[in-house]
Amino acid sequence: MIAGIGLRAEHFAEFTRTRPPVRFIEAHSENYFGRGAKPLHYLLRARRDYPLSLHGVGLSIGSADPLSPAHLKRLGELIGTLEPHWVSDHLCWSSVDGEYANDLLPLPCTEATLDHVVGRVMQVQERLRRPILLENVSSYFEFAHSSIPEWEFVSEVARRSGCGILLDVNNVYVSAFNHGFDASKYLRAIAPAAVKEIHLAGFTRQMFEDGAEMLIDTHSAPVADAVWTLYREAMQLFGPVPTLIEWDADLPPLPVLVAQAHKADAIVQAIYARAA
Amino acid sequence: MPALREVQSSLMHALMRRSDGSAAQALLRPGTVPSTQRRLQIYRNNLFETRIAAIGAVYPVVARLVGTDFIRCAAKAYSQLVHMRCGDLHEFGDRLPEFLRDYVPAAGLPYLADVARLEWAYHRAYHGAQLPALDPIRIRQVPVGAQGSLRLQLQPSADLIRSPYPILRIWQANQPGALDAESRISLDEGGVNLLVVQQDLEIEFRLLDEGESRWLWAVALGDSLEQATREALDSDPTFDLAAALSRHLAGGLFVGLSMTEADQSA
Repeated sequence: MIAGIGLRAEHFAEFTRTRPPVRFIEAHSENYFGRGAKPLHYLLRARRDYPLSLHGVGLSIGSADPLSPAHLKRLGELIGTLEPHWVSDHLCWSSVDGEYANDLLPLPCTEATLDHVVGRVMQVQERLRRPILLENVSSYFEFAHSSIPEWEFVSEVARRSGCGILLDVNNVYVSAFNHGFDASKYLRAIAPAAVKEIHLAGFTRQMFEDGAEMLIDTHSAPVADAVWTLYREAMQLFGPVPTLIEWDADLPPLPVLVAQAHKADAIVQAIYARAA
Repeated sequence: MPALREVQSSLMHALMRRSDGSAAQALLRPGTVPSTQRRLQIYRNNLFETRIAAIGAVYPVVARLVGTDFIRCAAKAYSQLVHMRCGDLHEFGDRLPEFLRDYVPAAGLPYLADVARLEWAYHRAYHGAQLPALDPIRIRQVPVGAQGSLRLQLQPSADLIRSPYPILRIWQANQPGALDAESRISLDEGGVNLLVVQQDLEIEFRLLDEGESRWLWAVALGDSLEQATREALDSDPTFDLAAALSRHLAGGLFVGLSMTEADQSA
């Protein structure tokens, strides 16, 4: 087994009762920041039987603002309580001038941003006393002054800071479509040793009146066929890396989520059974 | 090349609709289909949809009472008014009750802000830490003559609510699968005094009578037991301190105690 699922409050009781056969679980760090008794109870209980990945959305690693000491403190305390196998957030920014957009916004890919982000990742890793993983985000625009392709930017952040890459294959597919680059080229540019976790999710297609189209990363649908194809390619390039099915909006019944994880398992098994 | 802060500030203004977006658009790779304007619009929509969804998740009863269109408009207006100061979306919506109190389209629903207040208290209690309860023996260890000057600390995730409207009945009738969903609730039924608190893994609403409510409000605000009891007796001569104290000690509401400085030095 290679694939895990996100543990969401709607599935707490059923997950605990049925203990579905998945490789690991992922929880959104901020959902446990308040340390509410019920969410923490279920997560600790699941943690006994499954490896845990703690995945954040609020670190704002690419912001021009200083890192939030309050955020890092709460994250550090949560890591102490849960002892997760992986701690991750996104290679993006979500706040500036003290205000949060609560969205994962893309960074200009320049040498200056690279220096800025690398320094901050190192601060976070020093503070948490462990390496983190950073995830590539979906994006809907690019900056005019970006001078480095995104795949090189992601690779360089990992190489210089020592962080791992959480490669979201769906995000690669979505951004490739929206910006017109080759998704396979993106994958081939990433150093396999840096890829510690894979994300898969479903997107939504948005059509405009003039026929223009964009893909939106909504986490509200099954993984698309084209993304499964790209995933197969990723598994051939990176090896059997732990893979997570993300589904956050219009959450399906737990067995549907587990079936998506098993689909990923089958793909990996087909590749590596043949090789063996 | 623009500095990172300039880029991010300009985008934030555009996304929050505090500018027309032309400065932000000028930063984006031009000549694309869809246009930079549409690409920016996708983020604007996502941002507001995230916030509207967050409001809907915390305030399902308010949403049910006013309907989807109404709550979307209110959530949108609230989002534009209130700046988010942290990366934890669970903290978004804390001021919706006061916002609704002054929100003109909600003027015909005088109880709406108090129902929102109840839902925020529930949300806070659910996500807040439950600290170990104060051991009653710690109170008994204090000499009887000094007990009046004790101050008790409440669970930080607990909340007290007073409303002139039957908001608990309204809340209960609007839960999924509620048995009395079709029954009519008259606003003349009168108000409630409530304590919202975690008990084991669930959130409980505890009804308080008048004296008990006054007493807890005073304790929560930092009054000594003696001051709080005096206040409770003023409004309810039947208030029973021993009964109230033992009920809430047993319910795990108190987490710490302190003495007034004069007593500590004595």
